[in-house]
Amino acid sequence: MPAFQRWRAARPFWGGLLLALGGAEILVTEKASLKVVMHIGMQGLAGYLLPALMLICGLLILFNPTQRLFYSISGVLLSLGTWLTSNLGGFFVGLLLGVVGSCLAFGWLPDQEPRRRRSWWRRSRTPATPHSA
Amino acid sequence: MASSPDVTSSTGSSPEPAESSESGSTSERRGRVRLRRAAVMAVPATALAAGLMILTAQGALGVQFAISGMPFTVTATELDGKGFAQFGGLDQMAEGSPNEGDTGGQVLVVVSAIKSATLTKLCQSVDLGGTNLLITAGQGSEKVSASNLTTDSTELSGDAAFKNIEIGNDASTLDKAGPGGQGPKGVFSQQADTVHIANLRQTNYATTAAVFKLPGLKLRFSDKGC
Repeated sequence: MPAFQRWRAARPFWGGLLLALGGAEILVTEKASLKVVMHIGMQGLAGYLLPALMLICGLLILFNPTQRLFYSISGVLLSLGTWLTSNLGGFFVGLLLGVVGSCLAFGWLPDQEPRRRRSWWRRSRTPATPHSA
Repeated sequence: MASSPDVTSSTGSSPEPAESSESGSTSERRGRVRLRRAAVMAVPATALAAGLMILTAQGALGVQFAISGMPFTVTATELDGKGFAQFGGLDQMAEGSPNEGDTGGQVLVVVSAIKSATLTKLCQSVDLGGTNLLITAGQGSEKVSASNLTTDSTELSGDAAFKNIEIGNDASTLDKAGPGGQGPKGVFSQQADTVHIANLRQTNYATTAAVFKLPGLKLRFSDKGC
């Protein structure tokens, strides 16, 4: 297995990537100069703070996957918050990416057995389904 | 919460390796998204998102806009504002911006600041090249309201009526439109207590930190703008 695939298999890759992309997309839709933002104060700053934190959460999911629960919960709350603070969540696109990414990261578990189709003979061979979660 | 499914999965799948090796290299053990686990977060998140949208569409929640760099159009059949100021300004694009064209990266704009405004039949569109992103609100009886609205426009048209207007002030001395309504020293400006504009049409380069309440919000893609 190539090195990149092995790296990818050990972390919620798509979850982190989508969350980071969502944050970036929202920032792109509101690239005002920082001078204006500082002038307007806290209210304006929140619009940049939330997507920036989304971006950071997404990257942290990729580079520190053991803490994925905390990052994904923060990520989903931040994503929802951008609806109010940042151009309706980057005109909905960034919000969608962020929520989907956070859910994927939240639902990810390490070291799972391969997916396979449920067929009657395999079911009968493994008496209880191993995953109850 | 994280540890218990981990443990059950590893113990429950102990007789697996023999099977997986026979079915080929694609079936290696690796991290995966468990659907039910993801749903634990997805369901409340979707509900919350839907709640936010409904509250926004009812006008109960205000949303903030900060757009810049690409020109967009705002129209409204009527605008009523309290605390109005207007002055000239120069918007600087980011260096080497693709939108620069022959302008040298600078756009001469009219900055309008309104402390609190209500708009009837607001329509806002951004040209994304080929398609327009269209946001409409306030089509019904409830009006759109905005506070601390600051827009940098290149074009502004409509039928305007002002009350107690002062024309020719220095832009740094303005006081009627709040903190966003002050310009640089030595620039021509005007301010008024109230403003009423019918058939408003603006081409804007930036809207900053305006809190909009958007009853009857609709967001969609469309062939033509406002």
